[in-house]
Amino acid sequence: MKLDEAFRNYRDKIVDQWVDYTLSTYKASTFFKKETDKFANPVGGNIREALDCLFGLLAKQADPQEFVAPLEQIILIRAIQEFSASMAVGPIHAVKHITREILAKDKERCHLVQELYDFEFAVDLAVLAAFDLYMQCRERLYQVRIKEIKTGTYLLTDSKCPSNLLKINIQESIHSNSHSS
Amino acid sequence: MAVAKLEQLAKSVVQGPTMATGAVPNKDWMDVSAIFKPGNYAYQAKQEKVEYLNSQKGLHFPNAREWSPEDDDWKLPENWKEIILKGLKERLEKFRSLKIFMDCCVRCGACADKCHFFLGTGDPKNMPVLRAELLRSVYRNDFTLGGKLLGKMAGAREMTVGVLKEWFMYSYQCTECRRCSVFCPYGIDTAEVTMMLRELLHLVGVGINWILEPASNSNRTGNHMGLQPHTFKDNVDFLADDIENLTGIKINHSFNRKGAEVLFITPSADVFAEPGLYTAMGYLLLFEHIGLDYTWSTYASEGGNFGLFTNNELMKKLNGKMYAEAKRLGVKHIIGGECGHMWRVIHQFMDTMNGPADFMEVPKSPITGTTFHNAASTKMIHISEFTADLIRHGKLNLDKSRNAHVKATFHDSCNTARAMGLLDEPRYILDHVADGWVEMPENTIREQTFCCGSGTGLNTDEIMELRMRSGLPRANAVKHVIDKHAVNMLSCVCAIDRATLTSLMNYWNPGCNVCGVSELVGNALVMEGENRQELTEGLRTLV
Repeated sequence: MKLDEAFRNYRDKIVDQWVDYTLSTYKASTFFKKETDKFANPVGGNIREALDCLFGLLAKQADPQEFVAPLEQIILIRAIQEFSASMAVGPIHAVKHITREILAKDKERCHLVQELYDFEFAVDLAVLAAFDLYMQCRERLYQVRIKEIKTGTYLLTDSKCPSNLLKINIQESIHSNSHSS
Repeated sequence: MAVAKLEQLAKSVVQGPTMATGAVPNKDWMDVSAIFKPGNYAYQAKQEKVEYLNSQKGLHFPNAREWSPEDDDWKLPENWKEIILKGLKERLEKFRSLKIFMDCCVRCGACADKCHFFLGTGDPKNMPVLRAELLRSVYRNDFTLGGKLLGKMAGAREMTVGVLKEWFMYSYQCTECRRCSVFCPYGIDTAEVTMMLRELLHLVGVGINWILEPASNSNRTGNHMGLQPHTFKDNVDFLADDIENLTGIKINHSFNRKGAEVLFITPSADVFAEPGLYTAMGYLLLFEHIGLDYTWSTYASEGGNFGLFTNNELMKKLNGKMYAEAKRLGVKHIIGGECGHMWRVIHQFMDTMNGPADFMEVPKSPITGTTFHNAASTKMIHISEFTADLIRHGKLNLDKSRNAHVKATFHDSCNTARAMGLLDEPRYILDHVADGWVEMPENTIREQTFCCGSGTGLNTDEIMELRMRSGLPRANAVKHVIDKHAVNMLSCVCAIDRATLTSLMNYWNPGCNVCGVSELVGNALVMEGENRQELTEGLRTLV
């Protein structure tokens, strides 16, 4: 049996687990996993749609440029939620492990695990692209703030410097990660 | 091996810290405390603003001080707990709805997944039922027999500083949009629970600056920005000059004119900030087109009422000012501009607080003769009602092709949609001024509309991420019509929307602009004697 056939057969299972894993990063994830209407459940709906699309691209090792659209659909959301950069991007990695695990459990297909190098390399490229997108989203967010300040609402407030806020968040997350490990 | 790696990844990614509450919860909600960090709370009110408000007749804003939500010590009054419980007792007696809302929730969860804050954050305390439970737990503890006897088993808990901090965090992660109440089988208005939480917090000096500063400005000079009469007049004059440059039409407007038939009041943002400016130009053109006998006021120069986001006394005072001015000028009735929460105040609270406004007449359109019986008591009609009626009677000369650059969709503002039922008038207007405008998905419009995410005074940039999260459901629906129909304009009838949706689109859907419906009316109007330039972008065209 060939790898591309295994990807076809296991696509739904892999994507389901990937979506489940990604949505588990939310505190009240049950609803995000359950509701399928994208407009009633924008986080769950967009992440499911985008990961499914992304898996198709990774499985056929498409041009990495094509990864950008589905990745953006995910990262735009996660970049403004309560995640550090690694937490926002991290779940993209998970598909490597999920795929290996699923193939390894199938006696007829476990040998295909040896052939996953290209697929995993594609995942690596997607993760790197996700980091770029994450930074673009943060940058965009700060541009939105600056634009708002320029339009005059700053008269009603006096906010702290956005880059400084990001620095504090990163330091705190590094600190607590090293603390927990 | 693979499994072990995945677990390790999960450990470092999933169980890492989060900005607000520290981690994925593995404790009962009552045991998860609110932690304030830069970016997850709106700044506390400045001492001088609280002092000023407290000095005003009929208002009570005690405990003005320097403090910060990030500090452990919030410098609360020594008897803060007594003040809060007494305040709650008074409100339970005064507002029957509050008592009912505290008692009748069966925790069915119908509201749980309807809140845009919950949908954007995934934080369970943003489920309306749990947000209300923050207050209800204290109510049970001190005001119900079951709670007194059974304590935590009956969902009761003692009022502590930690609970107070949680109230502050989550009552300012609610925009009082009332989407949840649409789905509540008991009709519980969770927005009113939020209102009560905010009222109680003000009793011990806990409030945010982005609400109290505009509110105090509004009380002092008549509008949120604190613009003085001459500045307000200058701004409107500038807009009239712009119109003359663009269309060759000289606008005849007036200020504080006694004996005018109509007083026009709109949110001050319409006369000083983009893109509201173009909406205001739309009003000016419309009134000129029909020769309306109306006046602006430099004193009632604010439609918005941040008292609604503070407490009922301040809401009453700010609302009263509009009516005092209408009385002083001797107008027959008031037309209100495109505002959201102004209309909630007018339709739901004005009559109880300051009504009925018997010194005016039931609004009757001087152009069509239509009487607006829906405003028989408040004597104030919405510009969209007024405009739709004009169109219905063929009183406007409109050329849709002047909006050819616009592919619009329409965002129902929470307050006009759910608090006054203004659903069809703006759509009727759009049908006549903009070709091929499209609706967003059904579960995101009309009564089920999603909030812009930054209403109730949360339109402040220090919580921009929070605003982007809570605005996600709305932005997501807009993205759908952009992808499907190449929409490039999100129209609405609310000034806060015009400001907040602009930022929301700049993050989620760059390239999609935001406008007031009256701007599109202004674009389409064919004025008598006009000398119109080639306006490829309507009133926004730079010439």
